[in-house]
Amino acid sequence: MSNSNQLHKNLVQIVGEAGLLPEDQLSHYGIDDIDPQAVVLPRSTHEIQEVLSYAADSGLSVIPAGSGTKLGVGNPPDTVDLILSTSRLDQVLEYEPGDLTVTVEAGIRLAMLQSKLVEHGQYLPLDPPYADRCTIGGITATNASGPSRFRYGSARDRVLGMRVVQSSGTVIKSGGKVVKNVAGYDLNKLYLGSFGTLGVITEVSLKLQPLPEIERTILLTFADVGEAVNVASEISGSQLLPTSLNLFVNGVPLTNSPEPCLLIGLDGPPETVEWQIDAVKTIAQQNGAIGVELYEGQRQQELQGAMRAFPESGSATPTVVCRANLRMTDVGGFINTALEANKSAPWRMRATGLMGNGVVYLAFSEFPNGDVPAEHVANIVATLREAATNVGGNLIVESAPTALKHQIDVWGSVGRSFELMKSIKTKLDPIGLLNIGRFVGGI
Amino acid sequence: MKENDPLIAELANIVGSEHVITDPTSLSVYECDGATVFKALPDVVVFPTTPQEISAIVKLANKHNVPFIARGAGTGLSGGMLPINGGIIIALNRMNRILEIDIANQQAVVEPGVVNLWLTQAVQDDGYYYAPDPSSQQACSIGGNIAENSGGPHTLKYGVTSNHVLGLEVVLTDGEIVEFGGAVEETPGYDIRGVMIGSEGTFGIVTKAVVRLLRKPEGYQTLLGVFETIDDASNVVSSIIAQGIIPAALEMMDHFVIRAVEEAFHWGFPLDAGAVLIVELDGIKAGMQGQAEQITEIFNENNCRETRYAKDEEDRQQIWKSRKSAFGSFGRLAPNYITQDGVVPRTQLPKVLRRIAEISEKYNIPIANVFHAGDGNIHPIVLFDERDEDQCERVEAVNMEILRACAEAGGTITGEHGIGVEKMDYMPLIFSPEDLAVMATVKDIFNPSGLCNPGKIFPTAESYAKLGL
Ligand SMILES: Cc1cc2nc3c(=O)[nH]c(=O)nc-3n(C[C@H](O)[C@H](O)[C@H](O)COP(=O)(O)OP(=O)(O)OC[C@H]3O[C@@H](n4cnc5c(N)ncnc54)[C@H](O)[C@@H]3O)c2cc1C
Ligand SMILES: Cc1cc2nc3c(=O)[nH]c(=O)nc-3n(C[C@H](O)[C@H](O)[C@H](O)COP(=O)(O)OP(=O)(O)OC[C@H]3O[C@@H](n4cnc5c(N)ncnc54)[C@H](O)[C@@H]3O)c2cc1C
Repeated sequence: MSNSNQLHKNLVQIVGEAGLLPEDQLSHYGIDDIDPQAVVLPRSTHEIQEVLSYAADSGLSVIPAGSGTKLGVGNPPDTVDLILSTSRLDQVLEYEPGDLTVTVEAGIRLAMLQSKLVEHGQYLPLDPPYADRCTIGGITATNASGPSRFRYGSARDRVLGMRVVQSSGTVIKSGGKVVKNVAGYDLNKLYLGSFGTLGVITEVSLKLQPLPEIERTILLTFADVGEAVNVASEISGSQLLPTSLNLFVNGVPLTNSPEPCLLIGLDGPPETVEWQIDAVKTIAQQNGAIGVELYEGQRQQELQGAMRAFPESGSATPTVVCRANLRMTDVGGFINTALEANKSAPWRMRATGLMGNGVVYLAFSEFPNGDVPAEHVANIVATLREAATNVGGNLIVESAPTALKHQIDVWGSVGRSFELMKSIKTKLDPIGLLNIGRFVGGI
Repeated sequence: MKENDPLIAELANIVGSEHVITDPTSLSVYECDGATVFKALPDVVVFPTTPQEISAIVKLANKHNVPFIARGAGTGLSGGMLPINGGIIIALNRMNRILEIDIANQQAVVEPGVVNLWLTQAVQDDGYYYAPDPSSQQACSIGGNIAENSGGPHTLKYGVTSNHVLGLEVVLTDGEIVEFGGAVEETPGYDIRGVMIGSEGTFGIVTKAVVRLLRKPEGYQTLLGVFETIDDASNVVSSIIAQGIIPAALEMMDHFVIRAVEEAFHWGFPLDAGAVLIVELDGIKAGMQGQAEQITEIFNENNCRETRYAKDEEDRQQIWKSRKSAFGSFGRLAPNYITQDGVVPRTQLPKVLRRIAEISEKYNIPIANVFHAGDGNIHPIVLFDERDEDQCERVEAVNMEILRACAEAGGTITGEHGIGVEKMDYMPLIFSPEDLAVMATVKDIFNPSGLCNPGKIFPTAESYAKLGL
């Protein structure tokens, strides 16, 4: 019997045939051109423990996963042995609407969860791309967020507690199920954004929000980036309370406007929203907006969807995506630097800025013949990273072809906190089982 | 430790002898925090002004194998800064400068000894404020807030300290000075800033923090409702949330507290009321009146005897003063009190409050309640006289039963005050030995010698015995 047959057989004993992804679908979970040996879909904590213990005994590494929409984030792996997906652990475990909290299994997809909450007039105010696919476990492990992070925060601001299977198989709980809790250390913060390196998250408790009465989106168009940035800072420094405040350059969701645009999301009781619409219009007109458009109903849903999916939305699938974290006042300058650095390049670069959060995504696409000139792009990324770090920010390469990843450190330096991060990894995953080598500094 | 101990001279070399306290009378000021039933004398208190001085102190403590403990304003309510085995108290009172205010980026950089309220005062003319507002905000330090991950009345809408801190500079337990996070929302790697917040001073000494500033809301609506019973008031709390309104704050006081506050400050509360609720809306004025009317209606549906609206800012401040001064009035109720801090799911509030009333009756120990109702964060004030041994024993039983009730309702044993020494024994009510083992592992990473604020948070063998586990 070949090794792969033996592996298959052993895993079937743990999770059954239905718990293994068919061989012809393995490439769906491929990471940096390497297909996994197997994708395991356990149905219980017990099965997860068994898989981890089997992997440890057989010297195989394990990459925890949800739906696999973002497995590529990180350094290129040396090997991809087992991918352990929670996607069959997808139940709502506890939901008492009056508490405005919910506890779910990690594999539940965001859209599925929302559909259950909406029935009670509530929702989870996180809007990362691909709600129909991404899992709560994945959202937690990547600390995901979307445009409405301006008002409602990221996963970090929503997660109250979780259950985690450690690489030893031990099940532990962090935090709790209530909205305030300072008993013991706040270990939630360790697992949030840990990209599967510290344990398999199996349950998450979350803080919810009542559904707003109405939602509107205003799209403002400008002749240049500077004016758009000014309006954004005018709004974020005002007493308006937008849910989102996103700048788009070189590619606006849905409209594909060539001019820079600001998308401003508003929600709340009708009176509050109407008043804000007027206020935004006034600010826009006083500050040189050349277009003001109000979206509602179906069209707004589409616009919001496209805005969330950015940079994947629109014509081009980006091959390289970078994210910079900056102070708000550095966003405009950084985007201009990026535009300048890519001016004569033969590809397209689009940018979006979460103006109230200081986050900028840069998406590179339409490479001639589909070839990414790794060295050239790596140089540009290095220049931009320097521009970000010079103003106290940082830059992460979220997705890139493998050849490019080999030329850059996708995470960038974490400075003197690295030693502590390394001890956290070695103490919490002492056998070195989980998503090895792919996080900061090769953790 | 003797006064002529070489360590004292070395400390004086670092901070100057006028910033070192060793005489017993002066030391006694530092023997406890706001949980005054717990007392322990430090050997020495030092008042450094720079991270470098703190680093030197920490290295010295390591060399001499002496415990060291950070202290902010000493308003903690769980004995967090208690030097249980003596040692060096590193008092941060002199590190009290606001280093930078960056309105355009809505953030400020502060030293740890800055008093919470000072920061809001420093930025209010620009139309900004610092959101976490513990009721002790006139005294407590931002360093202490970070160590406890403090909350306050407005936590309901705006979150706790952890949601408002972007970056920290910390003197680690080996004396190294490291920054975590920074002036931007996210940095790559594990969120060490996040783990540091709420670590109750056991992972090092915070020497600087970058915190968020929020734009002051355009308007407020503050309502005060007087209710016949605590049950009615708790029903109002869940109805407001169920109707999709998240007020900025939603606070409750029971009849004990109303009476104490009234007798002390004469706000004009009816002495025979069962409960008072303070509800505050904030944000954009347009549409706020509608929500206020909705709340008034919920009040009326639950036998509200009287509703007051803050007419203006001064009125609003008066209402908040009555709430925030509540603690100052408990001295009238009993010589001593312990403030409990459990959290329960909001729908469990009526049941748990009834249970607490039963516990009070069973042990014949009066319990007053003033708390962050919107969050389900209760503060039963257990009133007693520490000179009465029998009462003290009963109080111990009362504490345990209250916390057990919170745990059994699906809640937790502390929402904002921390475990400290006060609630160590009760940790097994909510965490398994495995959960606690992970916490111990993380503690070992940050504090391998155990010299930084020892004897806190973790239960001992006796704790398990006490709980019958
Ligand atoms: C094109 C694109 C654009 C995106 N843009 C944004 C964006 O703008 N902002 C943003 O915040 N996010 C963004 N995302 C991220 C994405 O929406 C989230 O990361 C998503 O929640 C991942 O969910 P998943 O279930 O597919 O996780 P996966 O892709 O399966 O896993 C993602 C990571 O989480 C780990 N992981 C997953 N589940 C678990 C678990 N149960 N336990 C432990 N570790 C686990 C994995 O090891 C991996 O490191 C984008 C994703 C894509 C594909
Ligand atoms: C009347 C009253 C009302 C209160 N109301 C609230 C409330 O509404 N919400 C709330 O959350 N709390 C409340 N508290 C509790 C208390 O005020 C908070 O816990 C506060 O954050 C403590 O700050 P402090 O500066 O007094 O800290 P201290 O009591 O001096 O210390 C508390 C802990 O923090 C550590 N510490 C202090 N500074 C540092 C530092 N720089 N680096 C590392 N560790 C440090 C200490 O070692 C100790 O463990 C109240 C207390 C009182 C007396």
